Amino acid sequence: MFWIRQIINGITQGSIYALMAIGYSLIFGKLLLVTFAFGEMVVFGVFVSYYLYAIAGLNLFLAVIIALPISWGLGMLVDKICYEKFRDEPRFLMLITTIGFGIFLKSFTQLIFGTGYRSYPNFIEGKIIVGGIRITYIQIFIILTTLLLLYGLNLFFKKTKLGVGIIALSNDLDAAKLVGINVNKSIKFGHSLGVVLGVFGGMMMVSYYNAIGASMGPILGLKAFTVVVFGGITSLPGAIIGGFTLGILENLSVATFGSGYKDIVAFVILILILVLRPSGLLGKKIDLF
Amino acid sequence: MFSNSKISNIIGKLKGIILENKLKIYLIILISAVIFPIITDNQYYIYIGVLTLMYMILASSLNIIVGYTYQYLIGFAGFFAIGAYTTAIITTSYEVNFIFVFLISGIIASIFALLLGIPTSRLGGIFFAFATLGFGEIIRLIIINWDTLTRGTFGIPGIPRPKLFNFIINTNTNFYYFALLILLVQLFISYRVINSRVGRAWLSLKENSEAAKAMGIKIAKYRVLNLMYGTFWAGMGGAFFAYFTQYVSPDTFVLDEGFRIFAMVLVGGMGTLIGPIAGSGLLTILPELVREFARYQLIIYGIAILLIIHYRPQGLFGAKELAQAKVEEKK
Repeated sequence: MFWIRQIINGITQGSIYALMAIGYSLIFGKLLLVTFAFGEMVVFGVFVSYYLYAIAGLNLFLAVIIALPISWGLGMLVDKICYEKFRDEPRFLMLITTIGFGIFLKSFTQLIFGTGYRSYPNFIEGKIIVGGIRITYIQIFIILTTLLLLYGLNLFFKKTKLGVGIIALSNDLDAAKLVGINVNKSIKFGHSLGVVLGVFGGMMMVSYYNAIGASMGPILGLKAFTVVVFGGITSLPGAIIGGFTLGILENLSVATFGSGYKDIVAFVILILILVLRPSGLLGKKIDLF
Repeated sequence: MFSNSKISNIIGKLKGIILENKLKIYLIILISAVIFPIITDNQYYIYIGVLTLMYMILASSLNIIVGYTYQYLIGFAGFFAIGAYTTAIITTSYEVNFIFVFLISGIIASIFALLLGIPTSRLGGIFFAFATLGFGEIIRLIIINWDTLTRGTFGIPGIPRPKLFNFIINTNTNFYYFALLILLVQLFISYRVINSRVGRAWLSLKENSEAAKAMGIKIAKYRVLNLMYGTFWAGMGGAFFAYFTQYVSPDTFVLDEGFRIFAMVLVGGMGTLIGPIAGSGLLTILPELVREFARYQLIIYGIAILLIIHYRPQGLFGAKELAQAKVEEKK
């Protein structure tokens, strides 16, 4: 019984990681934008919603809905500062600009929202008991929302012109230009979409755990990155599988070793996958430099 | 009023003067560094001087790794922590001469670098960056959770002062000269290493990995060696920190500390010995001059990195090396 509960917790956590990782994979795998500031952007976006809810006193769902376009704008800003000038430059420059932006954004978040942890409310309260296993409504909410969003994203990348354009330019940039895809616009759109997915995943996560802190960013970024590398950086289904794997393994390790070492799981997976199978579960061969 | 061309003319002339008298200028800087504690009685200034020198040691150590082989080590604070904790654990239990404690702290940090370097030696860019971010956080988690060894979040207090025969290093001025000595030794050894066969191998890795591979330099081996050498000095820096503050706790060794040092290397100019010295001097002393900015320190560091990459990628005092690397990598 105990283990089944852990698995359900893991699936919930995994849905959240999957959503964040899809955002990350879109930016890093599809658009080839190296990003070190992803976790910081997620935390900032989540804090905006917290601020609107707790300080400005808005309804929680309204706060979430307003915070998402703001995160979109943050995505645009990061593209402007960190990427636009460096699109054709060696990629390590993007790494440095996003490290710089990450340092800035993390401290900026700490400055305006404070350094401590804040309590973030559940989206929905309550629980049901199925065959002796307790499942909270928020777990059901998170899993269903993730599935719904994944289905929507699938449609977006297959049916809409923008979505097909993003996939096309990730497959072959020159060919995409030839058939008239506006590369700059697609990259901007895709980057902001990735950020918003990450922020929404972050909101579900802090709502699940009831806590948010400005210093969470780098570890969140590490986890999203690990999941993406595990699944194969170019593969969106891989990101989903990776998300669930990390979520379940983390919960099992907490159940076995206690919560002190929870964050080590992601690091161990990252090192193992990079050594044993650097292309990831479903990915194409990649250049690790 | 000066016109633009006049200003650039003056800057050009200044550059010429600086380049011609490089040695003299270094000498002047060194002399002023030596007499600084003599001309001021203000303990606080000397204390800041000690901190600045410590950051110079740390930035020079990170620079060896980031600047000479482009390994973007993010979890640098982890190695700093290993050095500091090694010193704290040894000195609070045994009586060991501080010179040995320093060496052991550096070597332990190097051993951890070897362990980290073996699986990550084939990784570059963001893969290496995230792997080392994880490493740095895990070191901190281990420090927090392994409380029988490290006393967890309480930290280890009561680290004794270093003693040489009957002389105890205990005042700020003592520590100032001690740090200056370590820095000079470090710079001297680094200079020799960089101009040795190993150092040239590092530079060839940095400039064009493909060519290095073709020439038969075992890339993985030299990258690990580079990581071990750089982190040795990070461990020494940690030992100095532990002796100086007499107290270590996990709060010091957060990621931000690594980012701070990363910014110093980048702003000063990576891949040169003098760049990180200038960068850490600038970024430690400037925030002290404007105390109201203390809260905004890391925000300013982040912006400084962005400005540097946008407008002067080789850093304030760096050579044109990064700009050249850009061109070469483009080819």
